[in-house]
Amino acid sequence: MRSGALKFLSSPVFWLIFAAAVTMPLWLSPYYLGVATIALFYIGLALAWNIVAGIGGQMSLGHSVFVGVGGLLSSALLLKLGINMWLGMVIAAAISAALGAFIAWLDFRFRLSHLSFALITLAFAEMGQLAAVGSEFLGGASGLFLPPDHGSLLNFEFGGQRGNFYLLFTASLVCLIANLVILNTPLGYYLRAMRDNENAAQAIGVALLRNKIIAMMISAALTSIMGTAYARYSGFVDPYQFAAPHVTVEVVLFATIGGLGTVLGPLVGAGFLVVFGEIVRGQLGGVLPGLHFFIDGVLIIVVILLMPRGVVSKIAEWWDRRHAAAPENPKIIAETATRT
Amino acid sequence: MATRLTRRALIASAPGLYLASKGAGRAYAQEKTVKVGVIQPMSGNLSPYSQEGQPALEYIVKKINAEGGIKSMGGAKIQLVIADDASQPARTASEARRLITQDDVSMIVGTLLSAQMLAISPVVDEYKVPTLAMWAGGARASYLYSLGFPYDRGYAKTMADFAGALGNYNRKINTAVIACSNYEAGQQVTKYLQQMLPERGIKVIAEVPLDTQAQDHTASMLRIRSLKPDAVIGLMQPREGILLMQARYGMNYHDSIFIGNSPYSDQVIWRELGPDIGKAVLTRNLFGMASYSEGAKIASMQELASELRSKGNLKSEVGQATIQAAQAARIMQQVLELAGSTEREAINQALKKVNIPYGDPNLYLARAEGLAFGEDRMPKDSTSMMVQWSADRKLEVVWPDLYAQTKPRV
Repeated sequence: MRSGALKFLSSPVFWLIFAAAVTMPLWLSPYYLGVATIALFYIGLALAWNIVAGIGGQMSLGHSVFVGVGGLLSSALLLKLGINMWLGMVIAAAISAALGAFIAWLDFRFRLSHLSFALITLAFAEMGQLAAVGSEFLGGASGLFLPPDHGSLLNFEFGGQRGNFYLLFTASLVCLIANLVILNTPLGYYLRAMRDNENAAQAIGVALLRNKIIAMMISAALTSIMGTAYARYSGFVDPYQFAAPHVTVEVVLFATIGGLGTVLGPLVGAGFLVVFGEIVRGQLGGVLPGLHFFIDGVLIIVVILLMPRGVVSKIAEWWDRRHAAAPENPKIIAETATRT
Repeated sequence: MATRLTRRALIASAPGLYLASKGAGRAYAQEKTVKVGVIQPMSGNLSPYSQEGQPALEYIVKKINAEGGIKSMGGAKIQLVIADDASQPARTASEARRLITQDDVSMIVGTLLSAQMLAISPVVDEYKVPTLAMWAGGARASYLYSLGFPYDRGYAKTMADFAGALGNYNRKINTAVIACSNYEAGQQVTKYLQQMLPERGIKVIAEVPLDTQAQDHTASMLRIRSLKPDAVIGLMQPREGILLMQARYGMNYHDSIFIGNSPYSDQVIWRELGPDIGKAVLTRNLFGMASYSEGAKIASMQELASELRSKGNLKSEVGQATIQAAQAARIMQQVLELAGSTEREAINQALKKVNIPYGDPNLYLARAEGLAFGEDRMPKDSTSMMVQWSADRKLEVVWPDLYAQTKPRV
């Protein structure tokens, strides 16, 4: 799959898609550009989460804490203490990374099972939201309203919808590159070894604590950065949106549907489901209330039943079967025969 | 004798056909419409607002169109374009963007509670689209107006004034516990109650924030009971109101007077508690703010309610949201008449000039000084009625005197 991903990423098809994506602000209407921007946010989150869960096998349900830290803390630092949002983003990412390291240490120290780890991270998510709602500094339940975007890059302003699209595009690209780099470095091998069998990995010398901490820190920091970027885009930081546990549930769903542990899975899953959900709700929301939820649900059930390893894995299987079944080229056979 | 369409006949009829097409085009051009985007929580936890309010909004708009539409626009008909934000503020902003850029609406109306109002504000400011929120406790964007109660001079002042006025009915309130739902509006109202209650000689002895995720509020009620306040005052969401009353019933606690907002005065609380619990707790020492009451001495409100019940295709009983939505429709009508144009800037200017005086048949809310927007884009007169329940599930207005039908039962 890894080599498959690299092959795809160096293919003309990928570069065509990339060019189309980069030029979206030129040919998409403002509404669909907004949908694409929201999709990029979830793509980035899904890719960041994929590092610990898909590659590392640690099913974290607490990533909303990092989104909340990234969005709320950076905004609060700007509004309450006048700290530039670029610096605020770095501070928030550092705090998220530290928190992530602590959670990873807990997992190692207490040798938590997958279920226990998931529950503990969920508890962190709930505590995070309660802390955000109860903190005057972080805006409490009212949230925080950012100053208007006048396009001053030094002040973390990107000039409105187009600029914010490129902000989130860049941030999610960083998450994609992080996934690629990790998968093609020793860290990726160690994480997959730990995912497949932690005891065996430890037995052959893989440092469990060190690798868990590194993966979680990278994932947490990237998630926090996505939170800061989305806060700038939306202009209003609502703790019930940013720090809500349901954000992680959505991310888990997108990454799983797309294909856990793959590079393209979270991208495809989040990209397709977010866009599909927004468009269905936009078209049908006023017709029959809740119909879009029903359609979303049916789609998810169908995908999980027919493609249990994810959409990208299914497409990869089909592609490999197609190429394996292709008849051999007679000219090549003849040339090979003459050479021998 | 059969007739054939000859070339000569066709040429001869051409001028007639041309004139007929011009006439038809003129008739088509006269059927003007003004598109209004409506953002409602058609699904999600806030859907009761739209279930109650949307039929009333549609009914009034249909009536306006049937009576000739917007006369200053040559009889243009109002066309509602509905969008569902699924009760999520992020979706509110997304749907607003769609209505503005895809459907090219001239203005937006919607349930829009405070969180939704905050989320939509950057979009409203970016596109400069006049927007009317029915329930938000503030109006953050410069193109956004709200029909809701402001946290300070709406919710907090009404509750504090009523608590102070109970002394006139031989029930002086000296101490109070502030019990609000721990969410955005609750925290805001708590802040203002902390200032206003002492100004009226009422000492705040504690705050008991009600967790919006809790399944039970027995612990909160135990705390309240231990503090023994004269009154328990605060803004809450329907769920917290219901759970608190359930806990109150479980402890048989009636020593304090409970003063709150619409969850205490909506039929939903009777449905959720059931008749036995409802009768035990809702008819004793409980008062709620209300935009609507069957017995309120407001002729226009009662006529509207009666009309909606008979012709309005309502999915539920007439409630607060019904009247609020109907009022929003009439404001929309006046705004469009004043604007005389579908241009957004003209509509925004018209919103500033809205004025529905007291006694006008199109004023459905209880506003003694009429309905007009202040500098903060909130209603200048933001007082509300206070009501109590009777044993037969009817609301009785007890304050202010202008609308009261009976005295508070204390």
